[in-house]
Amino acid sequence: MSSPGRRRVVLGCVSVAVLICFYTVASNAGRLVDSELLPEPFARLSRPDLLPPTQAIFKALVSLVTGELPPMEGHHTHPSGHVGHLVEQHVTLQGALLVSVLRVLFGVAVGGPLGIMMGFILGWNRTADDYLHPIYILLRSIPSLALITYVMLWFGHGEAHLLIPIVYAVFTTVVIPAYHGVRDLAEVYVRAARSLGAGGRLLFTRVVLPAASPAVLSALRYSLVIAWMTTVGVEMLMGDDGIGHLLVGGGLWSSRLQIGVDPAVIIVGILGLAAVGYVMDAAARIVSDRVTFWARRRRAW
Amino acid sequence: MVTALCSVRVRRGLVGLLALLALYGLAAHIASGRLPTRVSLAVHEIEGVELLPTYSSLVEEGVFLVQAGILLQGAAVSTGRVLAGLLLGSVVGIALGLAMGWTAGFEYALDPWVVLLRFTPALALLPLYVLWLGLGEAAKIGLIATAVAVVMLQGAYQGVRGIPRVYWDAAAALAAPRSLVLRRIVLPAALPQILASLRIAIALGWVTVIAAELIKPSMPSLGYLLALAGAYPRVPTIVIALAAIALLVLVSDGLTLAAYRWATRWMRRRYA
Repeated sequence: MSSPGRRRVVLGCVSVAVLICFYTVASNAGRLVDSELLPEPFARLSRPDLLPPTQAIFKALVSLVTGELPPMEGHHTHPSGHVGHLVEQHVTLQGALLVSVLRVLFGVAVGGPLGIMMGFILGWNRTADDYLHPIYILLRSIPSLALITYVMLWFGHGEAHLLIPIVYAVFTTVVIPAYHGVRDLAEVYVRAARSLGAGGRLLFTRVVLPAASPAVLSALRYSLVIAWMTTVGVEMLMGDDGIGHLLVGGGLWSSRLQIGVDPAVIIVGILGLAAVGYVMDAAARIVSDRVTFWARRRRAW
Repeated sequence: MVTALCSVRVRRGLVGLLALLALYGLAAHIASGRLPTRVSLAVHEIEGVELLPTYSSLVEEGVFLVQAGILLQGAAVSTGRVLAGLLLGSVVGIALGLAMGWTAGFEYALDPWVVLLRFTPALALLPLYVLWLGLGEAAKIGLIATAVAVVMLQGAYQGVRGIPRVYWDAAAALAAPRSLVLRRIVLPAALPQILASLRIAIALGWVTVIAAELIKPSMPSLGYLLALAGAYPRVPTIVIALAAIALLVLVSDGLTLAAYRWATRWMRRRYA
């Protein structure tokens, strides 16, 4: 590895390791040192239910992955209500993540092409753009999570009322980059092709689509993040399964506020979520780079 | 200005909007007799729900909400939360982003955490924040600030990284002190990217605040109004709350766009 590359990896690992050590010490402070000796704010923070000790996080991870509660070991480590509740319902971390991933993929697969089509129409046809653009801006201004209560009235309590906000969010996110790609980025190529006599479908498939594809593909990558956010939100509000449901602790909507939430489970859930999100984004980046290798620009992230 | 307002594009846009509103009114009118009024929620069924409220019922409901102060108060509270979170998140995000763009060591050290935060939907952090910061304002504002900070960080970082090498070299050749470089080179050059990411951050902030208010509601706020109206359910209130949110998002987005155009006017003059 080149020297800056190596330095990056080393510094990254060091900072992660440092924080983990620091956190372990801080979260275990209540057990190592008698709490009266600690200064005031630390004594308050080091309660195990606010800052879960690292080993509790690890234990929660293990029990969520394997789906079994750890054996009782005296009064120090007992499964919190949150973990017990989840294990009772046969919820595992990977199962919940899988369900959420499927929802995200559905949202992108349905909302993406719809949004791209809409963006192409708006970008290609000035008249349509004039008439429809304000409508689009109006629709875009409604946060898709806000729609969920209304959608539920129409579609009941099945899967549709979870998927529709995700599709809507992806759709509204993808339209503008597609619009921009067709209208602004492809213009030079379109003029060149037109001056050589191309027109109609040939112009569209061989010139406009490839010229707009870098913007469109990066929009799809970004919409992945938006889709995840909407999926987690939707599941936290009204889901019966999935990672958002795991984070909030299960139970019906009305009782969601009463279940004691265990921060160890949340941290485990967040790490799992971030890992899956990172993998999906990396995959999308690899695919989009292969397809648009001719337009590669130096990317900072 | 007047001619711009009467331009073809604006006229057509208005026509489109009016057509949409007329279509909705027509649909609501047709549907008012036909659509089922019984809705089954998870555990029970409700009668008397109008799924597509007509304009008359919307106006009636809207007048009631405004007179009772619910709508305006809720809007003020939600907007306040968004602004507070925006301010806090921007300061932290811009500072960190500038630092990360400037110093490579800082970037390498912070990178894992930024990546972690980028792929964590802000809402997933909400239970954690509520646990640590209590059920009050701090948790919601902290959540919005986190989401905003991540976006602003990326914007500031890109802004700093986009500065052409020549400027750095010129500053070094003329022995400019760091503060001068910051003030005269980095900030003006990074400003367009920062404002562009501010637009995204505002949209994200609104989504986050509405979702946070839906999940952990506290009166009075637009999200709580939405949740309450959804639980009853009173559909006209839902539609009005949605319209109010959309209006606020539009206004804040429009203001940010105007700020962006004003701040980057020096960039556009080149092509004039």
